[in-house]
Amino acid sequence: MLLLRERERYARQILLFGEEGQERLKKAKVFIAGAGGLGCPIALYLAVAGVGEILLVDRDTVDRTNLNRQVLHWESDIGELKARSAEAKLREANPDIRVEALAATIDEANVRDLIAGADLIVDAMDNFPTRYLLNREALRSGIPLLHGAVRGFDGQATTIIPGRTACLECIFPEAPPGEVFPVVGTTPGIIGLIQANEAIKYVTGAGDLLSGRLLLWDGLSAKLETFAVERRLECPACGGRRGS
Amino acid sequence: MIVRVRAFARFREILGGDLALELPDGAVMAAVLAVLRDRAGGESDAIFDETGAFRSHVILMRNGKRVKRDDLYTLVLADGDEVAIFPPVAGG
Repeated sequence: MLLLRERERYARQILLFGEEGQERLKKAKVFIAGAGGLGCPIALYLAVAGVGEILLVDRDTVDRTNLNRQVLHWESDIGELKARSAEAKLREANPDIRVEALAATIDEANVRDLIAGADLIVDAMDNFPTRYLLNREALRSGIPLLHGAVRGFDGQATTIIPGRTACLECIFPEAPPGEVFPVVGTTPGIIGLIQANEAIKYVTGAGDLLSGRLLLWDGLSAKLETFAVERRLECPACGGRRGS
Repeated sequence: MIVRVRAFARFREILGGDLALELPDGAVMAAVLAVLRDRAGGESDAIFDETGAFRSHVILMRNGKRVKRDDLYTLVLADGDEVAIFPPVAGG
């Protein structure tokens, strides 16, 4: 049941997907891997949309070079754990939801426990090795993975439904070389909000997901398009798995 | 025949965003890559390795479908085909 103040807070979106959709959001638990350029807008918009439980994990502390894009971290947070900084802002943004933020490195030893009980895994990482780990855990657990990544004015996103769609290793069999990537904050803002929008659609059942499609955003020419992506039978991560 | 090539992300900076390549009828995908390799010049090593093959993280698509590396010499292109080439981006 929604409280009166929740009906007020979410009145405009209840017009879209009804109280039933809002209650689904309230019951949802979303795991967000990373509280950086992608993770900040994702967490903020899912918090204000009323996702009932948000678990955010990030191992880093706030650095001044983060502030052009990591919009939950402010000048006064420099030196603070990103988990703590983000958690404080999210609690203030929406006191009616549960927010848990952990300062931890996601690794093979803890990924299963971190993700346990989540309805969705949101990839807001800055490196492919951890993304592949999240992908494998999504495949193992059957929990959908919302992928996003950025560089410069460019971004990509896709929604992975284990057993049904191409997985991250089907689409990107090999990681690109590592680098200190250039980026302007609007790019992770746009891609992060596409991921958050996917999360809201998945939970409420609205619309068509980015499943089986890779979205590419080209911010310099302001073009957004999607390409069909198919499963690879020889994929080492999911090739052997058929619909669950 | 004309084949349209669209490059994304860093490859757009190297190759240009939207190219129309004139190729002989019956040309295979490898012919497109040869043109792109020349066009990339000194920056071709972002896309191609020493042997001239495209790097393993590079994504190549024809009309919205992924092209496998094994098919480069057998995949015959048609007039009006659209080829997309891009590297995954990795930041967050």
